[in-house]
Amino acid sequence: MSEFEPKIVVFCCNWCSYAGADGAGVARLQMPPNFRIIRTMCSARVDPEFILRSLAKGADGVVVLGCHPADCHYIGGNYRARRRIALIRMVIEQYGFDPRRLKLEWVSASEGEKFQKTLTDFVGTIKELGPTPLQEGN
Amino acid sequence: MSFFDRFRKKSTETVSNASAAVKKEVKKDSKPAASATCPSKTADSVAAAQLKPADLGDLLPGAPPNGKINLAIYWAAGCGGCDVSLLDVNERILTIGDMANIVMWPIAADGKEQDIAAMADGSITVSIINGAVRNTENEHMVKLLRKKSVIVVSYGSCACFGGSPALANLIPGGKDELLDYAYNKVPSTANFQADYHKGKPVLPKTEFKAPEGVLTLPVLFDTVKTLDQVIDVDYYVPGCPPLQETISHMLKAVADFAYKGVALPPKGTTIGVVAKTLCDMCPRRKEYRRITKIVEPHEIDVDPDLCLMDQGILCLGPATVGGCNARCTRVGQPCRGCYGPTVAVQEQGASALTAIASLFPVLEEDATMGEDSIIDIMSTIKDPLGYFYAYTMGKSLIKRSVVEKGGK
Repeated sequence: MSEFEPKIVVFCCNWCSYAGADGAGVARLQMPPNFRIIRTMCSARVDPEFILRSLAKGADGVVVLGCHPADCHYIGGNYRARRRIALIRMVIEQYGFDPRRLKLEWVSASEGEKFQKTLTDFVGTIKELGPTPLQEGN
Repeated sequence: MSFFDRFRKKSTETVSNASAAVKKEVKKDSKPAASATCPSKTADSVAAAQLKPADLGDLLPGAPPNGKINLAIYWAAGCGGCDVSLLDVNERILTIGDMANIVMWPIAADGKEQDIAAMADGSITVSIINGAVRNTENEHMVKLLRKKSVIVVSYGSCACFGGSPALANLIPGGKDELLDYAYNKVPSTANFQADYHKGKPVLPKTEFKAPEGVLTLPVLFDTVKTLDQVIDVDYYVPGCPPLQETISHMLKAVADFAYKGVALPPKGTTIGVVAKTLCDMCPRRKEYRRITKIVEPHEIDVDPDLCLMDQGILCLGPATVGGCNARCTRVGQPCRGCYGPTVAVQEQGASALTAIASLFPVLEEDATMGEDSIIDIMSTIKDPLGYFYAYTMGKSLIKRSVVEKGGK
């Protein structure tokens, strides 16, 4: 049996993290190809419904990336986002998911290396946790 | 003019004119914020709105001489409150019998399963089904009623969204764990089992061979389903229970359809809701305060005019569709979300979670603090899944709890 290859959904904010991901690509940093990036205008645009929908559709993990605190393009979007993520992490833990399947990290436009490290580490964590516990019909 | 308005007018007239100026001043002092922030929602308007009698519409028409329609009402996995709410239509209850033959209504009439099974397909004009579907009996009966009915109405929050019964979906062990808890772990039953069935606890069996034959009980499902996950549903009436106006208007619409040929709304319509959220109907004044601690209504003196969220009480109003006339928030109880989400969202819980998380203030030290401190702040909300999904677990994106199997 081949090794488990996780499917990971990454939400990147338009102003910092998406540019950071772009930087990682331009610099040709090596990363596992297990993630799909969805660009949002802000990390606060990531409705908890998006995260639940990703998990419901079979994602093994979800990452939300935003600007560093005090660095948000919209002044306070990431402060809202981190409060929501704290709550939604409690929710998915109550559902029975390992809370490590949801990660919030700050990646600025110049931090291609941090983007690479975050994603590589996260793919490692998910490989350790195994496939999503969600089954057909849940 | 309502009784209350008359009463108040009378009481102001008896006060002498000399004190009128003083009264005006007192009134001005007592309500500075109300007029400054939200002039349309004052204490007076709240009180007036509270006493508005329900508009139940016209009386139900009697049946024409060529025969009555058949009406069935069924109680699946629910508390019975929906059945009682159907009786709560004031004097109209007397005319329901004139309007239709009640072929089945377990709480009030005598029709049995075999009576329904003997009827021709499509001979029941309308079946009003309340409660979620959580065992084989519920499933059999709703499928039978669907076969025999022209219109099926999903009545109440349990039928529409799963309601509180669907919270059982969060028990990882499913029905076995539920039965084990209810019959072996709850103190009253645990004592009983220890006293009378020591070492060999007795649990309900779904089948028992008696000398006279085999006795059966319905089998519980592991996952509680909403009505429309089992059968095709024509109309939805949410609420825990639905408002008496809605019930009355619904029955009137059915009678008009059957006897006068008045067209019904399109299939799939949710009856009795508006486009906006509950906050739009709520008479309370909003001051857009930030909250840092969640409290229960009994822990504080609830300000009768101020938004409950401003006072730190978790209220699902911003995520719940309006239509209930804000009957809970008017009397100081927070909205628990029984009317379900607005048309624009699927996840009521996620929507409420978003709104409530945004109420927590951005702190001075927010730029430097770590995610652990955020968890400390947000853990004032004790049971987010149970609270935000109290009524809509059956309809949520992830419908039941999962079990991590552990990695390699």
